Amino acid sequence: LPAGLSQWFPALEVLDVSGTGLTEMGTELLSLPCLHTLLAKNNRLPGGPGLAPKGLGQAPLARSLRVLNLSGNRFSEVPPALLQLRGLRSLSLGGNRLHGIPPDIQELHSLEFLYLGGNFITAIPPELAKLPSLRYLVLCDNKIQSIPPQLAQLHSLRSLSLHNNLLTYLPREILNLVHLDELSLRGNPLVVRFVRDLTYNPPSLQELAGRTVKTRNVPYAPSDLPESLVRYLSLASNCPNPKCGGVYFDSCVRQIKFVDFCGKYRLPLMHYLCSPECSSPFSSASQSSTSQSESDSEDEASVAAHRMQKVLLG
Amino acid sequence: MEQPVQTETWKARSLEELVRILHQIFAEDKVSVDEVQALMESYESNPEEWLQYAKFDQYRYTRNLVDNGNGKFNLMILCWGEGHGSSIHDHTDSHCFMKILQGNLKETLFEWPEKKGNGEMIKKSERVLRENQCAYINDSIGLHRVENISHTEPAVSLHLYSPPFDTCNTFDQRTGHKHKVTMTFYSQFGERTVC
Repeated sequence: LPAGLSQWFPALEVLDVSGTGLTEMGTELLSLPCLHTLLAKNNRLPGGPGLAPKGLGQAPLARSLRVLNLSGNRFSEVPPALLQLRGLRSLSLGGNRLHGIPPDIQELHSLEFLYLGGNFITAIPPELAKLPSLRYLVLCDNKIQSIPPQLAQLHSLRSLSLHNNLLTYLPREILNLVHLDELSLRGNPLVVRFVRDLTYNPPSLQELAGRTVKTRNVPYAPSDLPESLVRYLSLASNCPNPKCGGVYFDSCVRQIKFVDFCGKYRLPLMHYLCSPECSSPFSSASQSSTSQSESDSEDEASVAAHRMQKVLLG
Repeated sequence: MEQPVQTETWKARSLEELVRILHQIFAEDKVSVDEVQALMESYESNPEEWLQYAKFDQYRYTRNLVDNGNGKFNLMILCWGEGHGSSIHDHTDSHCFMKILQGNLKETLFEWPEKKGNGEMIKKSERVLRENQCAYINDSIGLHRVENISHTEPAVSLHLYSPPFDTCNTFDQRTGHKHKVTMTFYSQFGERTVC
């Protein structure tokens, strides 16, 4: 960015430097107090290790910037400096070289629009679900193999784009996204036939302790535990068996069942259970007949299914 | 539009002129597909002329009516944000012309599924349409999906449908099952349509 920019244009609100060959942002950014939209697509960012100048978190920009478009650049990771832009509502990093999403993305708590299509992302951190205002999430054209069930906590989500990934199933919690109007799933190797996979890994000590804290309502405060454990406890999922009332973190029994969305097509959903002994009304151990358990799951799913009527750009 | 007609070589120098010539062509009993396609392609996209119709939606592509052709055709502008795409659909026995005004659109052609529709739909071909190119499709040619595969650029396209239609079938690529849908306009003649 040219030196003196903030002196010539102190009231600058929108800056478009797309397609200019930019390799770094430079210190001029720090002195633009009114900037709310920064478009820098199709450049050569980052040119070096540092995208943005030091002190970005303290600059007025950190509070004023609402829209940031860095699509079509060369980012192989989300630059940590970006996560200091607390006022950010819209972030696009489409068409870069990202291999993952940092858990600290949750710092952008005003985020409503997140475009990460066209990268090399393989997994989604559950912390992404901690963005309370997220309405539009684009993850298409990546290498994602599974969706964490915690993503169902994105209560504001209107549109979820997952097409052209490596998904073979979806967590059944996706049915809880009641405001979801658009869901694209095409171009994923979604399992079409009924598959049973009952391999079960015993829970870790951390998991067992976490379950006890949650189910017995053991009180704790952030000062009692390391931050990582506080975060871990917040990621508990409820066992889908209504009679169980248990919670689980990572350890679960997996079964893939099908749910028919308004006659569109059968979506494979992952039913997460606490343990093989926790028998859910709509699933049971390997001995039960498939037709009974399939129709049970359809009953339950049809209630949730009509919430997603406009959905499924298949 | 079956018989070959005396085809003229039109050159539309503006969007207004394009609409005017279309009215002229469609006033006749017989219209040539090649003539309309060539006419659409001859118009060199000038954003100043169509910006008022190009209303984007954050979540999905929009259909913005430009002209209703005295009932003979519908001319509309579609706005595709990054990553926006359509489902696989048919054209309810109508002719469909699609011209790119800005950006690029990928068109994937599919075979009609078997009556029962119980398997993955068969892809016939795919291509990326560039600015000012005009594609044509009708039900006898097949079904298609149109999408903006760019993650950095929005796309704008100009569509002509004759006769006009407001329902069509969408198809699930994995099974061939079809589902009738009603299409709506995001805006008409430059004014946002209230839902």
